[in-house]
Amino acid sequence: MEIDLTNNTPVLLSRIGRPESHTLSDYRADGGYEGLARVLRDMKPEDLIQLIKDSSLRGRGGAGFPTGLKWSFLPKDHPGPIYFCLNADESEPGTFNNRILMEEDPHQVIEGLILACYATRSVTAYYYMRYEYPRAWERLLKALDECYSAGILGKSVLGSGFCLDIFPHRGAAAYICGEETGLIESLEGKRAWPRIKPPFPAVEGVFRKPTVVNNVETVACVKQIVDRGVDWFKSLGVPADPKNPRDPGSYGPKLYCLSGHVERPGCYEAPLGITVHQLVDHFGGGVWKNRHAKAAIPGGISMGLLKADEFDCPLDFAGPGRYGCLGLGTAAVVVMDETVSMVDFLHNSARFFAHESCGQCTPCREGTAWALRMLERIRAGRGRLKDLDLLLEIGDTIGIMPGTTICGLADGAAWPLKNAIRKFRSEFEEYMQRTNPSGYQQTDAVPALSSLSHGGH
Amino acid sequence: MPQLTINDDLVECRVGLTVLEAATRQGIVIPTLCHHADLSPVGSCRMCLVEVDSIDGQVAACTLQAEDGMRVRTESDAFAKSRRMVLQLLLRRYRRPDKLAAGENELERWARHYDVPILSSSNDELLGATRYPIDSDDNPFIRVDLNQCILCTRCVRACEEIQGRFVLGVGDRGEHSHIVAGAGTSMLDARCESCGACAAYCPTGALSDRMRVGQPEPDRSVVTTCSYCGVGCQFRLEVKQDQIVSVASHPEAAVNGMSLCVKGRYGWDYVHHRDRLLVPRVRSHVLDGRLRSAGEERSGWVDVDWDTALEVVARNLIRIKQEHSANAIGVLSSAKCTNEENYLIQKLARQVFGTHNVDHCARLCHSSTVAGLSMAVGSGAMSNSMRDIAEQSQALFVIGSNTTEQHPVFGAMLRQAVLRRNVPLVVADPRRIDLTEFATLHLRHRPGTDVALINGIMHVTLINKWHDVTFIDKRCEGFAELCASLEIYSPEYVAKITGVSALQIREAAEILATNRPMATIWAMGITQHTTGVMNVLALANLQMLLGNLGIPGGGVNPLRGQNNVQGACDMGALPNVFPGYQSVTDAAALQKFSEAWRCSNDAGVDLREISAGLTVTEMIEAAGQRGLRGLYILGEDPAMTEPDSNHARECLTNAEFVVLQEIFPSETARYCDVLLPGTSFAEKDGTFTNTERRVQLVRQAIPPMGDARPDWKIIAQLAQEMMRLENRTSVGPDAAWQYADTGEIMGEVARLTPIYAGVSHHRLIQGEQLQWPVRDERHEGTPILHVGEFTRGKGRFHAVDYLPPQEVPDSLFPLVMTTGRVLYHWHGGELTRRSTGLMSVYPETLLEIDASDAHRLGIGDGSMVRVSSRRGVMVAKAHLSARVFPGVVFGNFHFPAASNVNNVTIAALDPIAKIPEFKVCAVRVERC
Ligand SMILES: Cc1cc2nc3c(=O)[nH]c(=O)nc-3n(C[C@H](O)[C@H](O)[C@H](O)COP(=O)(O)O)c2cc1C
Ligand code: SF4
Ligand code: SF4
Ligand code: SF4
Ligand code: FES
Repeated sequence: MEIDLTNNTPVLLSRIGRPESHTLSDYRADGGYEGLARVLRDMKPEDLIQLIKDSSLRGRGGAGFPTGLKWSFLPKDHPGPIYFCLNADESEPGTFNNRILMEEDPHQVIEGLILACYATRSVTAYYYMRYEYPRAWERLLKALDECYSAGILGKSVLGSGFCLDIFPHRGAAAYICGEETGLIESLEGKRAWPRIKPPFPAVEGVFRKPTVVNNVETVACVKQIVDRGVDWFKSLGVPADPKNPRDPGSYGPKLYCLSGHVERPGCYEAPLGITVHQLVDHFGGGVWKNRHAKAAIPGGISMGLLKADEFDCPLDFAGPGRYGCLGLGTAAVVVMDETVSMVDFLHNSARFFAHESCGQCTPCREGTAWALRMLERIRAGRGRLKDLDLLLEIGDTIGIMPGTTICGLADGAAWPLKNAIRKFRSEFEEYMQRTNPSGYQQTDAVPALSSLSHGGH
Repeated sequence: MPQLTINDDLVECRVGLTVLEAATRQGIVIPTLCHHADLSPVGSCRMCLVEVDSIDGQVAACTLQAEDGMRVRTESDAFAKSRRMVLQLLLRRYRRPDKLAAGENELERWARHYDVPILSSSNDELLGATRYPIDSDDNPFIRVDLNQCILCTRCVRACEEIQGRFVLGVGDRGEHSHIVAGAGTSMLDARCESCGACAAYCPTGALSDRMRVGQPEPDRSVVTTCSYCGVGCQFRLEVKQDQIVSVASHPEAAVNGMSLCVKGRYGWDYVHHRDRLLVPRVRSHVLDGRLRSAGEERSGWVDVDWDTALEVVARNLIRIKQEHSANAIGVLSSAKCTNEENYLIQKLARQVFGTHNVDHCARLCHSSTVAGLSMAVGSGAMSNSMRDIAEQSQALFVIGSNTTEQHPVFGAMLRQAVLRRNVPLVVADPRRIDLTEFATLHLRHRPGTDVALINGIMHVTLINKWHDVTFIDKRCEGFAELCASLEIYSPEYVAKITGVSALQIREAAEILATNRPMATIWAMGITQHTTGVMNVLALANLQMLLGNLGIPGGGVNPLRGQNNVQGACDMGALPNVFPGYQSVTDAAALQKFSEAWRCSNDAGVDLREISAGLTVTEMIEAAGQRGLRGLYILGEDPAMTEPDSNHARECLTNAEFVVLQEIFPSETARYCDVLLPGTSFAEKDGTFTNTERRVQLVRQAIPPMGDARPDWKIIAQLAQEMMRLENRTSVGPDAAWQYADTGEIMGEVARLTPIYAGVSHHRLIQGEQLQWPVRDERHEGTPILHVGEFTRGKGRFHAVDYLPPQEVPDSLFPLVMTTGRVLYHWHGGELTRRSTGLMSVYPETLLEIDASDAHRLGIGDGSMVRVSSRRGVMVAKAHLSARVFPGVVFGNFHFPAASNVNNVTIAALDPIAKIPEFKVCAVRVERC
């Protein structure tokens, strides 16, 4: 069922596009930081946590974990400091919604961050931004200066007595720094090798202290919920499935990043649950050059692949899962038209993950590299049908879900493999037949893999 | 206690254990690669995946906390498959070398177990060619071949967590990840200490012992004790047909576990060095029975058989005894030799020669400790154990000890204490030694101002009432005098003397006095001063003031330098005590030993009538003056190690008859008349007593080289020869010299020495850990001294005042020189200069000098310089370094002849302990 978009008005993006939208005065002119002042005056941190719980807000960073619940995992009456990390490492291919917010409306993010820190009783926040966002970085620094001068940050936020410092930290260009424990390690000055969980950051995070990690868009939603209320938030999106008690629903607005072969790529705000069709046609102006779509990735490359005939997939937290993908991820939709070769697509994806694997876990480090080598070989005209099974086997075994790795990067590597080969197998087979007519049928195992494919003894 | 089911067993385990640990305790084997019990778990290889009822998917057993009610499965077809997959993936990157350094490694063992083929070279187009240069690092000890690496990061963790050095890391990402040193430099440039921990923990041989490459598989392996420093590490000597092929960690070693330092692990090749003495030698004029007149050159060497050599020695010593007196003979014993040998040599001196002139190099390192601590607490030894200090102290005070270089494995334990437990560490040292990087506070006092510094710390302690009143009332005496003496040592006054700011003195006092227990640790930076005994007394005062004695994590802890310097003292190789510190003037002790060693005729010897003997330095002097006619030297090198060594060499030149029992023709060999080839630690049995009083076995691994004999046998044979010539037969129960093995010698020691009464080789072989005093066969030994009561009853405070060093800089000799050791060498360098690897890292004397001094003197880094004092000259290569501060230079004493620092040092002695002031003298430095 498609979401009605007739009354769709942007909220998170409402201020975007004005020349001075990034300045404090402009932000205040629109009522900025009034919500914060009200909360500091009228609400206890627990009340704010309850408000966010009531709103059913789920994290926008990829995993969709309920934000209020995450905050309530922090130890009660913790004697030492609690830290907050704002995850602005945004590196998932196709994703740029954090960037828009940070460049065009940095104060919205900062207000949300202060609210989140107040709720979680954090007195120190680290704003971890990926290196490749120089404009966002400059605007953040400027906005922080404005906040300190205006008494919005520091010893007593808006005179409330609540003390908060925000330390901006710039990453050094690695996808894995977006994984929350990789981010924490990196912040501590180490290699971003994700940590084993448990303990989760809420128990043991930055400098081994309880820590919350949230995405930029998540805290922006917090600010909007404070301003507009739970009812507004829950009036948008897809309600929880009454038949599934574990489904918290998909409420609120979402920033969709649309790119690839569409007429109008961009970042669009819509209620959670619009379909791929709606996004591509209503917002994106359809597939470019009057071509047809062949496939799309639903929420960042890690989430897998939808075929064109699956574009009725609703882009809420549960939707892509029903279409054989991993999930909504970052809601970054990349559309591929009919000219795109799935072999090239998969090779490109494999190259990304092999390059970005942090190198810690055997299955991820070696599995991603091995998959890449095989795809290189296929593209070099030496593919054999057998390779597809081996690729699938890698796809099926690596990842945090089967339990063979420490973090989710390997799952992200696995889903495009699994989806591409399962959904487009005939294309791969034809490609091999065409490019390796004499060898494609060869079935003797690749020597290095022999014992694996023979299975257990 | 959590109870869980692993496969079909109900397992109970301690809270905090992982599933892997719980399984291992139950004897259930789960395959692992990145895991090692000594290292923090990382869970990255994914070999140890298991299944737990309450968790979806598979989970790594090595990082999963065991919880009550868990149901764990460790074996199934699915696991076998996923483990095979992990192995397969790892073997993709693993290149088996043509020649493995050591036998089958851990990875290959699991591959065999799971029947995964190992490809010897890249016969698969997907594998690509050899990725990394073979043998890619120039470290002389550790060979790097990353083609074998499976990125388990054990080496990285071993370097960080065991050694505290942070040399290794992982560079790059994904499949390109690889082990790097520093930021991609060589290991040595990344400050590798070559301890070899990384190689010891590596499961594939990617990091391996270079000395092991190309060597045959060993046919046996003997657990023994290191022959270098007083830490007393144990390891396995791996032997193939009478040749040592390597030293390997012995994980059960009580002191060190898997840890070793570069000297212990890689410095063993001196054993097989071509310079080894293989036959006895006698000077031709001695053989002819001719006496050399004073000043006459010694004649050439003649190789002789043992009977001749021993007879020559026996006859000459008897002649000296008869023509002069027994006191005209002196014995220098050796802290490198075993307890058994030290016992025998002092018995030789006392029973056979009839003199107490026996001493050893402890005089030059810790005699002031022994004297000072005996006065204060009644026992000269380290009061605590290294492990309890590392694991239970709440603060650490290291003064005058360059622990990470001189006692490397203990130094690493101190770094671990800081890293793992955040223990505040105060280092007081004129030099910026490596340990200062781990210190909360570095007090950089002027050389020779220790008493003032310690008094200042006590002054602040008293003012703030941080002292332990109950402890002082109950257990100590002399407190009032101490308080009075401390009054003038205000931080401001002390700052003027020491150059340490008043603020830092206050901070140090607060850290040390308010975190208890606090352990005080020192070495030769405290002892080698004319005020050595006073320095030690001041430290004892501090620890009594704070009540830090008799408890784990506290104590007075002198670190003994050589492997068996503690034992040599314990065995009575000292001029004033019998074994076990029984005074030679004590009537009961005299009675006991006279009776035990009684012979049919006394050959002019009555122990009751001879006075206490001469010290090392006094004996050398007396030999020069010919007051002493015969000198018997066991494994010592006075020509190298005496202060003002020009003078020492002169004395030795003049000496009438000098016997040297040695394994190398050392510097001293030039000045002796008979050379008796002894054996290294690898060729004999016995025991060493380490710095914490732990008696440990030394086991013969290879037969003696050539005609060399174990030193204990040589001593016993000489004694028998002299007894025969003097017609003496044994009467007393311990008078004879018939020992079937060294265990029997220890039996005799135990009978006569109360603190060793319960020590026996048998107990040690059973694996018992014995730290003296061990009162009887059932007593378990004494890891901590002074519990409840001091050895001397009450602890005695001594008011001590600061006195300046003997020689202070002036316009002629404007710099202060201080001396010490370096990581890669040991003692006079006789052994380490014969180790190829050690020499390749540190081949010559370096003189550390501050850049501003160097520039003023026109000296560049690496220039050759001449260092002169009132006594002599040495040459060295200048090393511009921020480790020393302006006005101070540092030299080491490991190199001979023109580069020996002891050409320059001063023979000023502490009045009580007679220890020379090696640590301070005035010098002039010029470019040569
Ligand atoms: C490989 C990997 C990369 C990730 N990168 C990001 C990222 O760039 N930004 C982000 O917000 N979350 C990222 N995440 C998700 C974070 O781990 C974490 O779930 C998220 O920051 C939590 O914030 P939220 O609850 O507000 O969504 C990544 C996860 C994985 C496994
Ligand atoms: S799954 Fe991959 S990226 Fe994640 S920790 Fe393991 S190796 Fe690193
Ligand atoms: S060198 Fe050895 S210990 Fe280090 S990561 Fe490689 S295999 Fe592991
Ligand atoms: S620390 Fe001392 S005992 Fe241990 S290996 Fe090194 S030299 Fe030998
Ligand atoms: S042994 Fe557990 S993951 Fe390596």
